Amino acid sequence: MAILKVEHLNKAFGGLQATNDVNYEMQTGELSGIIGPNGAGKSTFFNLLTGYYKVDSGRISFQGKDITNWSPHRISRLGIARAFQVSNIYPALTAYENIRQAILAQQKRTLNFFTPAHRLAKKETQELLEVTGLSQHADKIAGTLSQGDKKCLELAIALGSKPELLFLDEPTAGMSGEETHETMNLVKRLNQEMDLTILFTEHDMSVVFGYAKRLTVLHQGSIIAEGTPEEVRKNETAQKVYLGEEA
Amino acid sequence: MIRYGWLGLIFIATLILPLVIGEYWIHVAVEILILGLFAVSFNMIFGYMGQLSFGHAAYFGAGAYATGLLMVKTSVPLPICLAVSMITAGGLALVIGYFCVRLTGIYFAILTMAFGQMLYYIIFQWYSFTGGDDGLQGIVPPDWIIQVTAYYYFTLFIVTGALIVMWVISESPFGYTMRAIRDNADRTRFIGINVRKYMLINFVVAGMFAGLAGGLLGPFNRSIAPDLCNWHQSGVPVFMTVIGGPLGFLGPVIGSVIYTFLFAFVTGFTEYWPLTIGLVIIFVVLYMPGGVLGLVKTKFKTIGAKESMDAEA
Amino acid sequence: MDASLIFAQSLSGLSRGMMLFLIASGLSLIFGVMNILNFAHATFWLIGAYCCYTFWFLMQDYNFALWISIPLAALTLAALGWVIEVVLIRRVYNRDLPEQLLLTYAMVLVLGDLIKIVWGVDDKLIARPPLVADPVFIFGMPFDSYFLFVISVGLAVAIGLWWFLKKTRYGHIIRAAVFSREMVSALGIPIPRIYSGVFALGIFIAGLAGAVQAPVGSITLGMDMAVVIQAFCVVVIGGFGSLLGTFVAAIIVGEVYAFSILFWPQGALVLIFVVTAFILIIRPWGLFGTPTRA
Repeated sequence: MAILKVEHLNKAFGGLQATNDVNYEMQTGELSGIIGPNGAGKSTFFNLLTGYYKVDSGRISFQGKDITNWSPHRISRLGIARAFQVSNIYPALTAYENIRQAILAQQKRTLNFFTPAHRLAKKETQELLEVTGLSQHADKIAGTLSQGDKKCLELAIALGSKPELLFLDEPTAGMSGEETHETMNLVKRLNQEMDLTILFTEHDMSVVFGYAKRLTVLHQGSIIAEGTPEEVRKNETAQKVYLGEEA
Repeated sequence: MIRYGWLGLIFIATLILPLVIGEYWIHVAVEILILGLFAVSFNMIFGYMGQLSFGHAAYFGAGAYATGLLMVKTSVPLPICLAVSMITAGGLALVIGYFCVRLTGIYFAILTMAFGQMLYYIIFQWYSFTGGDDGLQGIVPPDWIIQVTAYYYFTLFIVTGALIVMWVISESPFGYTMRAIRDNADRTRFIGINVRKYMLINFVVAGMFAGLAGGLLGPFNRSIAPDLCNWHQSGVPVFMTVIGGPLGFLGPVIGSVIYTFLFAFVTGFTEYWPLTIGLVIIFVVLYMPGGVLGLVKTKFKTIGAKESMDAEA
Repeated sequence: MDASLIFAQSLSGLSRGMMLFLIASGLSLIFGVMNILNFAHATFWLIGAYCCYTFWFLMQDYNFALWISIPLAALTLAALGWVIEVVLIRRVYNRDLPEQLLLTYAMVLVLGDLIKIVWGVDDKLIARPPLVADPVFIFGMPFDSYFLFVISVGLAVAIGLWWFLKKTRYGHIIRAAVFSREMVSALGIPIPRIYSGVFALGIFIAGLAGAVQAPVGSITLGMDMAVVIQAFCVVVIGGFGSLLGTFVAAIIVGEVYAFSILFWPQGALVLIFVVTAFILIIRPWGLFGTPTRA
């Protein structure tokens, strides 16, 4: 059974069709990417899938359950997590507190009024700090972290929700070449070791090769090509779209 | 640990206070405690959750009237009256909050203010039940605390207990979730939290403690009036919190000390209290944005290091 | 309840609505352009009334005293508004909402006491000039001719503002600034000057409203408190930043007040709050506001 199934998804803003009859499917355990130039509709797609926007028409199912137009918090509780393109963290809390918040929410302990929070979820929070390489920044105020570290924190928060399906919105944006490969290696490990189904978006083609098993190319809201990275690279329509970009 | 040392000293000081000051100042001290509790409950919505409520006096007034009416018309013992006050205020906060938490920012501020004024006018008009404009007179505390020093210790005991409960809540997962909602409500939705529901719960808890404060006021002043609900009364905890500093748990209490002292002092020799407090607020807003706590922030743990954020920006 | 009573109440409501429009339009304009909710707006209105009184008092031997005092008071308030914007308001543009609200709220307190210091606690009364001393007859019924003056001023200001915003270059700049101050700034137009101008304009209208209101009853301390909340309600119902919205909402609130006086006098204000709360809950940006502006 497909873990994610999107059928005939449409979304328009005013006159602009941001998502145009998109059909998409993901199997459990996949590591796939959606690529496309800026403005192609990648973030809109994620916003629709995570309940942030309401769909105009179409259907979204997770593990067979229809989750179209569900509110974000309900979708999250099903086991879907998201890391945002622009770091969407808690700037005034420490990195440790950021991650712990997501873990406590997942553990359904946030209605606990009387236990001091600093006693809870210590192990799990430390683990995530280590996995994302943030251990030495644990007590730094999140707003003061570097862009790359903020992205890692973003990922850590998403992981804190113990998701089965993870959406990563441009996970390497703002990172140096080395950081990019570190992050994508981490993503690959998460997929293989933790059995996490991961869908990420990227607008830099060179990043996705070697990591994604399947690529989908989005252009002006529509899917114009799909297949393995090799197939996509050879695809003429995809080339036109990107050649236009790079020229 | 050093912090607990300071708190311990302050607590001991409050215990021996009545022995060293005159009766007038014991009255002032009781007022500081009651309004301090009111202000800390306000800060649960403001400092912790990040929303400005301009109608918090509704719950303060509701609590005052609940206890006042029970004490005047029945012989229910005071501790029960106070519990009823908390429940009444909490229930009112549940109804009002249900609508208010759908909004944020300026709309939240205006809607809370509108509801506060509504309650004020209702109490004002409902002469037969509440005494309307005349207010409610003759609220007399039970004999064992009728003497002001005894009432002081009674209030100190209750307020300290309430503050400890609110402190524990603020350091609990729920308290941290409030900070999360304040800092990034969207993100908080995406980790699985129904933000609206949590905001409502916080609003109700804050309302309950405001109601408790109101309940303590009636027997202290021997009378209450509808004014306790209007937007001027709602402004009092805002002033106190801003002066003391919203980013520390005890900030509003510090603000209460300063405000109440200032009030007692200034009204002693001039009628232009509004002018005075207005100028103080303008000064604090322009030159001391973190309040008193903002000045000494290195010594106190803050509930969100906004100053560091601003430094980085 | 007969037709003449309905008509009389409608006219009273219209007059009240016009007055509320005059106060609320400045409030709405200031919030729409600068995102500052001026709690002290009605206090400026009251200062306008007191200023009008003082000017009138100095010239009271002349029949034209009132007619000169009104514009003089309005101009005085415009100057006051300009000064306050430069000295105080300007400093909180970059701050969060609570600090901005607190600043204008504190201004209410400070200005309120300053009124007390300058003009004292006694009520002030302006004698009716002969031009509006006698009632005017409409359909055979007598109406306070000053009411008609208030209504005309309200209409004149409404039309004047509309024309200013829609037809003049300055108006276009202001409307552009409502949507994007960055854009306007990028075009080389000094935003600070616009803000001072808009604030002064808003206070000018408030002062005009106060001066026009001055002869209606007596001028008392604390009048601003009762009015400011109603002005807020008008702006919320109509929609922040929308002139049409403010106009329509002001008429609605004025009429609601006038008619509820008939069958539920104490409930007039409660009714207005209920409507306001209702709008905030189902359509927070008001009847004519834009959702993006929050």
